[in-house]
Amino acid sequence: MIIGVDTGGTFTDFVYKEGETWGVYKVLSTPSNPAEAVLNGLNYLAHGRKKQIIHGSTVATNAILERNGAKTALITNKGFEDIIEIGRQNRTRLYDLSFRKAPHIIPSDLRFGLPGRILQTGEELIPLDIRKTETVGERLKDLDVESVAVCFLFSYVNPSHEQKIRELLAPLGLQLSLSHEVLAEFREFERTSTTVINAYVSPKMQRYIGHLIEELGRKDSLGIMQSNGGSISAETAMNESVKTILSGPAGGAVGAYEIGKMAGYSKLITFDMGGTSTDVSLIDGNLSLAFETHISGYPVKVPMIDIHTVGAGGGSMVSFDEGGALKVGPESAGANPGPICYGKGDRITVTDANLYLGRLIPEHFLGGGMALTEKRLPLYFENMAQKIGLSPQELAQGILDVANTAMERAIRVISIERGYDPREFTLFSFGGAGGMHAAFLARLLNIPTVLLPSNPGILSAMGMLMADVIKDYSLTIMKKQENVTFQLLSEGFEEIETKGQEDLRAEGIPDRGIMLERYLDMRYHGQSYEIIVPFNENYVEHFHAGHEKTYGYRNPDKPVEIVNIRLRARGVPEKPRFQKHKKMGDEPPSEAFIGEKPVVFDQRRMPTKIMARHKLNSGNRIHGPAVLVEYSSTIVIPPFAGAFVDEYGNIIMDLKDGGER
Amino acid sequence: MTVNPILMEVFKNRFASISEEMGVTLIRTAFSPNIKERRDLSCAVFDHTGAMIAQAAHIPVHLGSMPLSVKAAIESVTLQKGDMVILNDPFKGGTHLPDITLVAPVFANEPAPAFFVANRAHHADVGGMTSGSMPLSTSIFQEGLIIPPLKLVEKGNIDKKLMDFLLNNVRTPMEREGDFASQIMANITGVRRTRELIEKYGLETVRFYAGSLMDYAERLTRKTIREIPDGIYDFEDVMDDDGISDDRIKIRVKIVVQGDEVTLDFSGCDAQVRGSINAVYAITLSAVLYVFRSLVLADIPTNAGCLRPLTVLTQKGTIVDARFPAAVSGGNVELSQRIVDVVLGALSKALPHTIPAAAQGTMNNVTIGGMDFRNQKPFAYYETIGGGMGASSECHGESAVHSHMTNTLNTPVEALEYSYPFLVTEYSIRRGTGGQGLHRGGDGIVREIELLSEVDVTVLSERRKTPPYGLFGGAPGAVGKNVLIRKNRVEKKGSKFSAPLKKGDRLRIETPGGGGWG
Repeated sequence: MIIGVDTGGTFTDFVYKEGETWGVYKVLSTPSNPAEAVLNGLNYLAHGRKKQIIHGSTVATNAILERNGAKTALITNKGFEDIIEIGRQNRTRLYDLSFRKAPHIIPSDLRFGLPGRILQTGEELIPLDIRKTETVGERLKDLDVESVAVCFLFSYVNPSHEQKIRELLAPLGLQLSLSHEVLAEFREFERTSTTVINAYVSPKMQRYIGHLIEELGRKDSLGIMQSNGGSISAETAMNESVKTILSGPAGGAVGAYEIGKMAGYSKLITFDMGGTSTDVSLIDGNLSLAFETHISGYPVKVPMIDIHTVGAGGGSMVSFDEGGALKVGPESAGANPGPICYGKGDRITVTDANLYLGRLIPEHFLGGGMALTEKRLPLYFENMAQKIGLSPQELAQGILDVANTAMERAIRVISIERGYDPREFTLFSFGGAGGMHAAFLARLLNIPTVLLPSNPGILSAMGMLMADVIKDYSLTIMKKQENVTFQLLSEGFEEIETKGQEDLRAEGIPDRGIMLERYLDMRYHGQSYEIIVPFNENYVEHFHAGHEKTYGYRNPDKPVEIVNIRLRARGVPEKPRFQKHKKMGDEPPSEAFIGEKPVVFDQRRMPTKIMARHKLNSGNRIHGPAVLVEYSSTIVIPPFAGAFVDEYGNIIMDLKDGGER
Repeated sequence: MTVNPILMEVFKNRFASISEEMGVTLIRTAFSPNIKERRDLSCAVFDHTGAMIAQAAHIPVHLGSMPLSVKAAIESVTLQKGDMVILNDPFKGGTHLPDITLVAPVFANEPAPAFFVANRAHHADVGGMTSGSMPLSTSIFQEGLIIPPLKLVEKGNIDKKLMDFLLNNVRTPMEREGDFASQIMANITGVRRTRELIEKYGLETVRFYAGSLMDYAERLTRKTIREIPDGIYDFEDVMDDDGISDDRIKIRVKIVVQGDEVTLDFSGCDAQVRGSINAVYAITLSAVLYVFRSLVLADIPTNAGCLRPLTVLTQKGTIVDARFPAAVSGGNVELSQRIVDVVLGALSKALPHTIPAAAQGTMNNVTIGGMDFRNQKPFAYYETIGGGMGASSECHGESAVHSHMTNTLNTPVEALEYSYPFLVTEYSIRRGTGGQGLHRGGDGIVREIELLSEVDVTVLSERRKTPPYGLFGGAPGAVGKNVLIRKNRVEKKGSKFSAPLKKGDRLRIETPGGGGWG
């Protein structure tokens, strides 16, 4: 039995497959001890049968957000102990006269500088001071330090000082994270920060995973989802915990990728609109990766699925600022008090605006399991609308317009700003609130097609089930193009390829299932940002083309520089196959029509059919306007769109005129 | 047309994202460390008169001066579709010579431009008497190439003759050429995005909301000013010296707050000086705008509307409104900080619970130039160093950050040692240098660099003699120190100096702490 488990939300989601049988299961999450819900669900599903589990955990993320990771110290070069505090010496709020950073997770009395210095050439200028290292080791023991981050300048060129530290301090029982192992790339602040975060979250992750393993059967296997969209064994995750932050959203993107591919769509913009925020990402035949992110203000430089988040979701509250502009979010009504229509809230939210325009069907919300009160809405809308001289209907429409603009801006960041034209993509919408906005968002961006998967609420767990085993490696080499050849660079990959192969074998992947992908981080000599290109004979042309795509121009006369070599070792497990449904006729069965009500589109009230999604058959066509209801989400098909159900139960919505207004 | 609060929010976001996207293009493709690593740049969108609609949150010192660049471009050159104007003349819309601005028109279906976009970036070298173009000069002619508003791009084609001329007058032409390409691309991005906006909503609507956004920023700025008690508030502080003589230089402001308007009178400032710390009027305006923009707590676009309630009076020929051909390379970076100090100092009397004590009050500009022993090529390096922020009634001052008029990033040690013949020997927080008080000022930074080639070093810094003030009983922050550590001796240097350094010599900069509060 293969099981994907996602602990990200209110519910812990399970997607399982055994033979040809598929299933979905949800239990209420247990935030104080997430393992409890995980183990309960697993026991319920497997009844002691052998399990292969892939798990997306929020343990590492929460340790950072809640600042309750291990007692961690930093060892670095003498004179550079404060680099993690100085950061890039800028302030993140330009006009804040009383700007303060959060205190660093490693206070200054737990940072230790040691004499010793490696140069950029790898040459040792000053040897590491052994006696002082031993003194620091004793001090760390006295201070009950649990975990130690070690980061010396230029350690990725010559790691001998960091290795010496391990030799001397590991016997004392100190847990060590060495920067050249965590991230063998230049720029000391980002490398130190990533190493520190790894040291800070690893002990907690070890306890969590250790507990799970103890409770699982001896034959069970446990994989952990990483932020890069691949899984790794639980044992690896214990030492490389920094790679697991943001694993939940990564699961969603992988799920979208796999389901999109199966349905025949390889260029996707994923759109996951939840209660408080919306995540978007771009898939151009492959999942897009970002190589640096910030969590709680700390830079973390590990490959991760490039997900952009905006603070606008269904629960986002509406307000006017002092200058009279209408704002949606970032504050959210959450589940309590929730939107006005939940019965307790007293501030208008995006969900309320959808309901006011008729796009949310109260009697079918969460399968009718939660009563929405429409009655309370008119009073609030009329009051607010009167203040700004609009009709309540115009106000409701305006709220959705502002929310859609914020989400549109997020999609522009990951598409247009990176050289992709959204018109070539399909909008893949999941998350509870997405289906009500997807068509309108697609219209704003001229996206012609929207895909709404079946079972949108468990996409993340589904992605975990389908994820490859992935290990990423990188190494800064800093070479000018004139000083290397294809041959020389190929040889440079040999060492990390051997390591990649060994690591994947250790993960239990047979040799025939191992794929090694080579990349280079390149830039024009003198630039500071690199572009990642596939490494083959044409790598230089790939770079020029990539630069032109991203930034609009190329400069063939400028010397090119290779900053990092990068390897992605991928183990492709056998993927579960979905069964196709037989195509039925165009006309949906009569039991799918469950009502009709007026819904407002572009300021016009139009009679609109209400349909039950689970009653639709493959091949059925629906002409807008229509509202499809299902357990955890609502899909609005506006008059300017039509839709059909594909063989996998996905709804494919086409905008008339390719979405052009 | 009446203002629809929904469209207002939509346009606010759209104009902001245009300027931000221009910035991303510039940062990602530039070659100068100043632009790509330190992000010493600004991008903004303007209406047809040159009034600023939105500026990305980049560098405050460019705030008030970018519109003057656009106005200078409009006045001097007739712009056609596909044209771009380049300029850096501080007396015609610039600030100091290394800041080069490119202005591009956006045409709708009218013969005259409907909007403008512009970006400004600090180039590592524009010629002049020392590499890095931040010299201890006594006239602007020593500071580098003066570029009046000229068409660098005509109908989409770069003017090769002008480009050649520019590149022949700077020390690192390859790098300049790359930076110019990035600046041109940033403007092309801005033009394209603004045109999309016009196509989508129509010129009339875009223009209307551009105006509404200025009214909106004005409304909130006036609201903030109304909360300041009416009255006359004054404050005086000094600059250490101008780098040529040892005399302190007086900066004085008298602020009159009346209702929702403020007049800032700088006529009591000293006359312009021989050394390079003179500011042109644009800088004084930027500093004032920065302070009032910071007082507005709401998230407003920084635009021409913020300036409407403010009147800034200066006397021509004084240090805050220098006359041609004064040396001005340091006015932008150093005097601008002191203008903020005196404006905040005066306002602290009216708003004791809002205004912080003085921050480090300098940008600690270090330029190093010479021949790299590794490849025998000339190089020019420029950096600025953070320090302490002032404490306030709310909290301690932050340590080791840039304050007020700048917000540039540092260059990573590992990037620095790859690119230049330097060995960084210390980079740490200068503990205990923030002024004591109920709330402590932030600490400064220690940065020490050993030179691996023979170089010329120029340091332009402040607060080496007069410390950043404390408020309401808080102690002042510690003054900064500039030190040369040579083979057998340690030389303590002044606020501003130029010196040749030998291989193995070290330059040590200790930056000031912020003032304490209470």
